[in-house]
Amino acid sequence: MTTECPFESNVIDAVTDGSWTESLRTHVASCADCAAAAEVAPWLTRFAGMDERTHVLPDPAVLWLKAKVLQTSAAVERAALPITRLQIAAYLIIAAGWAAILTWKSAALQAWINHFSPGHMILGATGAETTSLSLSVLVAIIALASASVGVAMHTILAEE
Amino acid sequence: MDEPAFEAFYRKTAGGVWSYIYRMTGDAAMADDLLQKTFFRFIRSNPGITDPDHLRRYVYKTATNLVFDHFRETKRERTRAIEWMPAEVRPDRGDLRHDMARVFSDLKPQERALLWLAHVEGNSHEEIAEAIGVKSKSIKVMLFRARKRLGEMLTKKGLAPEATR
Repeated sequence: MTTECPFESNVIDAVTDGSWTESLRTHVASCADCAAAAEVAPWLTRFAGMDERTHVLPDPAVLWLKAKVLQTSAAVERAALPITRLQIAAYLIIAAGWAAILTWKSAALQAWINHFSPGHMILGATGAETTSLSLSVLVAIIALASASVGVAMHTILAEE
Repeated sequence: MDEPAFEAFYRKTAGGVWSYIYRMTGDAAMADDLLQKTFFRFIRSNPGITDPDHLRRYVYKTATNLVFDHFRETKRERTRAIEWMPAEVRPDRGDLRHDMARVFSDLKPQERALLWLAHVEGNSHEEIAEAIGVKSKSIKVMLFRARKRLGEMLTKKGLAPEATR
């Protein structure tokens, strides 16, 4: 049998409050479950009666407030999750863009940077031939720089 | 559930839930922590239940899950049994209060939950099954074994109760 003995709770109650009846005693003598329950019930009742708590439990109003604050923070985090993901994606795209430009146009960039060295400036002033960066690369650099600053500003402002 | 209803429910049940968690973990600070977590979960989930008994069972189920999670995390519940005991109930005192707590802590966590819910909270087998997350049909055997084990431990320690009938 796997079902609960219908007298089990009566037996536990009888042990606790002494409300034994003759029929209940007869039942306990023939029911292994109730006999086991009756055996340990007095000890458990006594054990449960020993109050070990020496302090006051947290105030329910404080718990309610804390729970509501936690709920709000969790909701904010949930709402901000898509934005955070977009920011990460934007950082990755910008980093990839910078890596691509620095890899493919490194020679042109090197030459363009050298263009600002004092020696080249003197040559430029005397009318000698100077290097210039193609318009598409310049536009790409400006766009990437703007995007980097934009995403960084967004991250800072969003955190604030 | 609104705040006044929660407050009323909390004042009615929190003491019992704390005792249950404390007897399960044997750690008053942990009991405080898990009690708060239990009620945080309760508020967050906001169960659409109005029956007070059902609500009480829901809280005990949550508390049981948290206690078992705690045991799984620490995996030290058997060895911690003595460490947590307050100074006034340490083994060297040899008092009854300590002996009783020691016997209970020597039981397996699931046995502690079974016995407490059945005898102290007066739950039915179905309610216990719901709280500890096992099939209702298994409770009868599990509870019988837990009672027998406790009975044997009490006899061995000389704490067996006097004639019960």
